[in-house]
Amino acid sequence: MDAGGGSEAEPRISFYGGKWASTLPLGFFILWAVFQSGVLGIGDTNGLVIGALIGTILGMFFVRGDWKTYADTIFEGMTQRVAATAIVAWLWAGMFAETLQVGGFVEGLIFAADALNVGAATFPAAAFVLCGLLATGIGTGYGATVAFVTLFFPAGVLIGASPVLLFAAILSGAVFGDNLAPVSDTTIVSAVTQDADIGGVVASRFKYAIVAAVPAFVAYLIMGSMLSGASLEGAAALRDTATAPGLVHLVSMGVVIATAVAGRHIVEAISWGLVVAVGFNLGLGLSSVSDVLVFTVTEAGTVTALPFVAVGDTASVGGSLYTGAIGFFPLIVLTLLIVSMAQIMIRGGGFAAIQEFLLNSVATNVRRAEVTMVLGTAAINGMITINTAAEIAIAPYIARIGEKFNINGYRRANILDANTSALGYIFPWAGGVLVGYQVMVGPDGLGAEYGPEMVVNPIEVVPYVFHGWFLVIVFLAAAVTGFGREYVPDRTSEEVSRA
Amino acid sequence: MSALDKFLAGWSFRSSTPDYEPGDAIEVMVTGREGDTAVARIGDSTLRIEDAPADAVNTRVLVAVDTWDGSTHTGSGTYRETVGESAF
Repeated sequence: MDAGGGSEAEPRISFYGGKWASTLPLGFFILWAVFQSGVLGIGDTNGLVIGALIGTILGMFFVRGDWKTYADTIFEGMTQRVAATAIVAWLWAGMFAETLQVGGFVEGLIFAADALNVGAATFPAAAFVLCGLLATGIGTGYGATVAFVTLFFPAGVLIGASPVLLFAAILSGAVFGDNLAPVSDTTIVSAVTQDADIGGVVASRFKYAIVAAVPAFVAYLIMGSMLSGASLEGAAALRDTATAPGLVHLVSMGVVIATAVAGRHIVEAISWGLVVAVGFNLGLGLSSVSDVLVFTVTEAGTVTALPFVAVGDTASVGGSLYTGAIGFFPLIVLTLLIVSMAQIMIRGGGFAAIQEFLLNSVATNVRRAEVTMVLGTAAINGMITINTAAEIAIAPYIARIGEKFNINGYRRANILDANTSALGYIFPWAGGVLVGYQVMVGPDGLGAEYGPEMVVNPIEVVPYVFHGWFLVIVFLAAAVTGFGREYVPDRTSEEVSRA
Repeated sequence: MSALDKFLAGWSFRSSTPDYEPGDAIEVMVTGREGDTAVARIGDSTLRIEDAPADAVNTRVLVAVDTWDGSTHTGSGTYRETVGESAF
């Protein structure tokens, strides 16, 4: 991409209302996202897609002269490498994550908790570690939250752990994995938007994650012994779902992390992880072939003898590879629209105007620049609670402000992702909190099944999402003290070297 | 860089004014211009880059450091080649 966003570039699209009017599509989208996710609490990515489409149409009415330039800029934005890279990584990550799920990884982690004889006081700390492991393996904090609230949370509450603390600990684990996993959507966006390789980002991020995670673990141990719930004597429920073999997926997860950190392309790293995970699933009988991939036909025939062809009511394709990749489709469409709206802002001069304001008035030295980056990502993630969407929207500013002080791409990616991961699981309107809460409420929810003590008010959880809060604090402290700071001359991203 | 080195990189409190030595060849983003001379701001240190292309701002360039003043954290260097561009 050229330096069109630079202050020296002339705007190519002229708007009625001047360069600030070029911020209308993205500005409208942000307001839509705040209203939808923040005010109404609707965590539907497809809804954001419609907001982006309407915003893009509205902006066109303010264009002076030929609207073709505006339309061309939409295509120019969508065809950027940054979007394509994230999309490819998401598709692979989705297949891998879902394959671990059908292979009994969650049940394996529950087995580990049972084998370690975790009691009510230590249950939240164990939930933090194990949910963190699951989220690091499957890359989606939302998925890990749903899995753990469904399976682990009731077991913990039944043996007397505090429901509020336990839910918060699960959310903390989700923050940890969303932040650190190489297959996490937010990790991928943070790396590719800052021109950094994903494996290198994960390795450089480890120091911040562990500095926040250790005190968070200790805090859960301490608070676990201070806060307790009513013992409902339900440890048996935990053992019912526990199976040891799913733990082999720690190896599948390790393969992805090790190959990515060793400098292999993320597509190669996840492909190897996928091969290992499918091998374990089929070799150890953790799942059937049709759990991984299945063609469903409506009538039996010779082909239905094949292990990946089944007979059902409606003809379809399914399995973990299918549902894992499909799950990212709404986010992929949304990403294409957000980067095209950002490109409209760049070509219309709005991007440069905001950037100059920040650089001239706020980010006047490197310390203030990093604090601005930390608080900027915190503010937008507090408003847009579907955290990957928020991250994509703020990413160009993190890149440009950071580059103006030669802050290394790894450091920029880490600043960008920390608040994105943390705040998406703290506030009551955050997407991560809402997906967990949805499991508790409703006619089929945990509350209906076990009783009202299984439903946690999201507001009560806020102060106890320790890893999320500590991550925010670590990054504010890092910006002020220079902990972990690296400059562009220090080292070059491997992906850039290979290009 | 080994995998272990990648995990260990950055475990320190880094100065806001990094210093360099004459003879160093470093990659930097060109962050602006002072008159006709390209400038790279690295943290709160400043490197003036002679012979850089006119459109060098927001590109990543290889620079040979010629002089460096550790008290004012400023220096000058010579443009070698363009090796990359802005992430956005």
